[in-house]
Amino acid sequence: MAIKTGRYGKVSYDPTGAGGVTLVQIISLNAWKLSVKTDKEDVTCYGDTNKVYVPGMKDIAGSVSGFWNSNETTLFEAADAPTPGMLELMPNDTENTFKWSGLAYIDADIDSSLSAPKVSGTFAAAGPWTGPVGP
Amino acid sequence: MPPDTSAIDAALLDRLGADALLKTLAPHGVWFDEAPAGAIKFVIVSLVDAVDVDQHGGHAYEDLLYAVEYRELKQAEAQSKARQAAQRIRELLDDQPLTVTGYTWMATYRERPERHTEVDDLDASIKWNRRGGQYRVQMAVGT
Repeated sequence: MAIKTGRYGKVSYDPTGAGGVTLVQIISLNAWKLSVKTDKEDVTCYGDTNKVYVPGMKDIAGSVSGFWNSNETTLFEAADAPTPGMLELMPNDTENTFKWSGLAYIDADIDSSLSAPKVSGTFAAAGPWTGPVGP
Repeated sequence: MPPDTSAIDAALLDRLGADALLKTLAPHGVWFDEAPAGAIKFVIVSLVDAVDVDQHGGHAYEDLLYAVEYRELKQAEAQSKARQAAQRIRELLDDQPLTVTGYTWMATYRERPERHTEVDDLDASIKWNRRGGQYRVQMAVGT
């Protein structure tokens, strides 16, 4: 294991939600972000010397982005889908066991100006997610 | 195997070099960076800037900026062809698709016109008309 480039990152999606071998890479993307944050409730009391929190529920959300490619409409189909699909995010496909995945609802955007049109999407968890496990 | 960026250069030279009207205006040819000694009416194509724009797994497209200039030795008795040549270059390139193996054409367009008179450093009586423009060529990697 080592620090790897994001150049070989990969975003895959399966609209059926099954995942595994039915995942298909969404092509022409060049970035993704995942945010895993847990709500923190402020439980600071009289006499505490600093603020104190207790954790609440973990939230999973993020974004993907890249270029518009007329061969790739998955993001927009996902945005129209009434049911969540399986989304898989990989930082580098040469380490394909290190990834985050789970059911997600996806919204999609396209930004078209005089340069190459860009697409982007945001997602929110629609079920439990799994992440990479360290050595 | 990745596509050959030089093939884009070649396609540009071929497009300009094959045009009959431009041949009459620039009879000494279309060249990359420099023309042969003795040439006095020609077109020079130079690469000004180039960027590989990436996507996950490799290159998405190549974004190249070329200077394309008609050059002629200024001669008192001869009528300049610079205006016509620059216009013909524009007709041949501006928004005109290029076919290059390994790429899919995205765009070709003039980004800015160029017009200069170049005076020789050693002999101020030698002057060159230079006219054309900077042309952006964008080619998606893959077909």
